[in-house]
Amino acid sequence: MPETAHMTERTFNRVSPLQDVALQGRFGADKGAVGVTFTVRHPMSIITVIARAGQGAATAAALKGHDAQWAGPDQYFVLAENRGEGALYRELKAKLSGLASVSDQSHGRVIIRLVGPRARAVLAKGTPVDLHPDAFPLGKSALTQMAHVGVHLTRVGADSYDVSVFRGFSESFWEWITEQAEEFGYQVI
Amino acid sequence: MLIPCPHCGTRPVEEFTFLGDAAPTRPTTNDPSTMEAWYEYVYLRNNPRGAIEEYAHHSGGCRSWLVVSRNTETHEVFGAVPARDFTRAKGAKA
Repeated sequence: MPETAHMTERTFNRVSPLQDVALQGRFGADKGAVGVTFTVRHPMSIITVIARAGQGAATAAALKGHDAQWAGPDQYFVLAENRGEGALYRELKAKLSGLASVSDQSHGRVIIRLVGPRARAVLAKGTPVDLHPDAFPLGKSALTQMAHVGVHLTRVGADSYDVSVFRGFSESFWEWITEQAEEFGYQVI
Repeated sequence: MLIPCPHCGTRPVEEFTFLGDAAPTRPTTNDPSTMEAWYEYVYLRNNPRGAIEEYAHHSGGCRSWLVVSRNTETHEVFGAVPARDFTRAKGAKA
């Protein structure tokens, strides 16, 4: 698609694949405080950056100031909210020319945020990754599997985590992870 | 078995896909005189009891190709390195 302004304006509104699934409200155990709060982060700009051979350090340096999450050796997911369709992609494509391959995955992945005192307990049911803050500090990411679905997991706060999955898996993953949260009581906002 | 992925840390073997023995070296030419070497490379594998170095893909994690050294008899795992480094080291030795 030519990168011209009038084309960008005609882009369809993005619909979250979880729009009809992630219903708002409180679910599961209904006594006491809520254990986990789920949010679907949407719409997001999600860009995959893979450094070319020998350009790992230069790519990491060029990504300073961006919300770049580790996603494999010399590979990153760069995230942003409230950017126009393709804006972050074009910015990084120009900035990382010759350093890294850049591809726009904004429509391909869904990011679910878990916040709350039992968020870690919910995630621990699905992954062998050690989520203790000493082993998994703020900003650290891990690639692993939960319920047979490949996930990208990042700690974004003391009791907050982002879980990124392929959009085609998001509905089944949502059903699984909310079921794991039922015993603690969860809400969707 | 637990595999110490150099990129992700210790992970269960379920996250990995094994390809097989990393010892055979691919012939560098298509010359008909190398048919015997090609036959060995494509079809013949040892089945060692004991130490082996195997290609493993961390398909459920960082998607990197690794070489895992382990013991087929005791299931002991000695370590894992990126396949790239393994191949370069093998080339340097040859």
